Amino acid sequence: MADVIFIVNETNTTIVDRVFQMVENVIHMEHGSVALVFLIGVIFGGIIQYARVDKFEKIAGFSMLKDTIIPKMLFLTVGLTSIGLYFMIDAGQAHYHVKPIILQGLIIGGILFGVSMAILGKCPGTGPVSIAEGRIDVLIGAIGGLFGGLVFTLYYEDFFKPLMGESLGTTILTDFFKGSEDITALIFGVSVIIIAIAIPKRELLDEADLSQLPNSERADKK
Amino acid sequence: MANRLPWWMGGILMSGLLLLTFSIYGADRTIGASTYVPYVASLIFDLDPEKYSYIKEIKSSGSWEGVMLLGVLFGGFITSVFITKSFRFSLIPTAWKMYKNDSVLSRLLWSFFAGFIMIIGARLAGGCTSGHFMSGMSQLAISAMIFGGVVMATLVLTGKFFYNTKGKK
Repeated sequence: MADVIFIVNETNTTIVDRVFQMVENVIHMEHGSVALVFLIGVIFGGIIQYARVDKFEKIAGFSMLKDTIIPKMLFLTVGLTSIGLYFMIDAGQAHYHVKPIILQGLIIGGILFGVSMAILGKCPGTGPVSIAEGRIDVLIGAIGGLFGGLVFTLYYEDFFKPLMGESLGTTILTDFFKGSEDITALIFGVSVIIIAIAIPKRELLDEADLSQLPNSERADKK
Repeated sequence: MANRLPWWMGGILMSGLLLLTFSIYGADRTIGASTYVPYVASLIFDLDPEKYSYIKEIKSSGSWEGVMLLGVLFGGFITSVFITKSFRFSLIPTAWKMYKNDSVLSRLLWSFFAGFIMIIGARLAGGCTSGHFMSGMSQLAISAMIFGGVVMATLVLTGKFFYNTKGKK
């Protein structure tokens, strides 16, 4: 791995050309118009920002078990979506896009992801939102991520693909309960919603959060 | 608390957005937020897709998520400036100072390192919090449940050993 020489495109394109190419790829896909995809991003970023779950105190705080907003919101999202999606797919309004069970990849990747999420306090979805609100440390994290993506691409065939292992298929929970799929999906969704509500609410607040409260409600000013 | 959505409202809205994205009237796909990273890296470093099979493999997902990313940056910026009024430049989070150290250099080095292994991890697993945890588990996918379990366990273990929380509230 010592000699990092990567092969670049022979056609002389600028980064702007390549970004336009990216947009053009989306135009030729059957996955929504460019405007819709952009709008999905705007709403996604807006919800994350408005719920303030992109804060370091949320994910890193959860890793220290001092903040439970992240798991509460995540589990509620999964519970509600799973029920809605199951019946939408049943009615032909949506399709499954299930990712394969690549056991080694999931476990090794999950460990690396969990460790880095605790340290960075972000994930690839919340990170850009933090950058958009001026967090320079997260921008440095994103640059690290770009190099991670580069290394993954360069050594994919030789190193990472064999490391991931073979796919064990795209099994979903209802496959284990043939004949009672509807009730299985419903029980899963309701249980996950109950977990979301049952997780005790804890918050790690910083000065920026606290300054929005009146003094009478501030534990540190009493 | 003012200027913030409660967690349950965040969950309901996010669920609505996922269903819209899944639906055939929306994008007929999942929301993902980690494939764009190697794809954007390939744009920045001008890598030749003919030479690197991975870029070919992720071309469509990477482009889709790349356009979504532009929306995320825009939506996050607008919301932080006009709604939550939380936009400000900063180098080190408050809780890092409280539970780790005061050093900006330490925070930046750890951020770079964590960002680097985060993307390798996400690409090995084939997804991240959005693609696996939210979109995958909503489809009752076993792959997402394995990933989610491993991530939750390592996240909490890392938090326990990486940060110094003893004697602090």
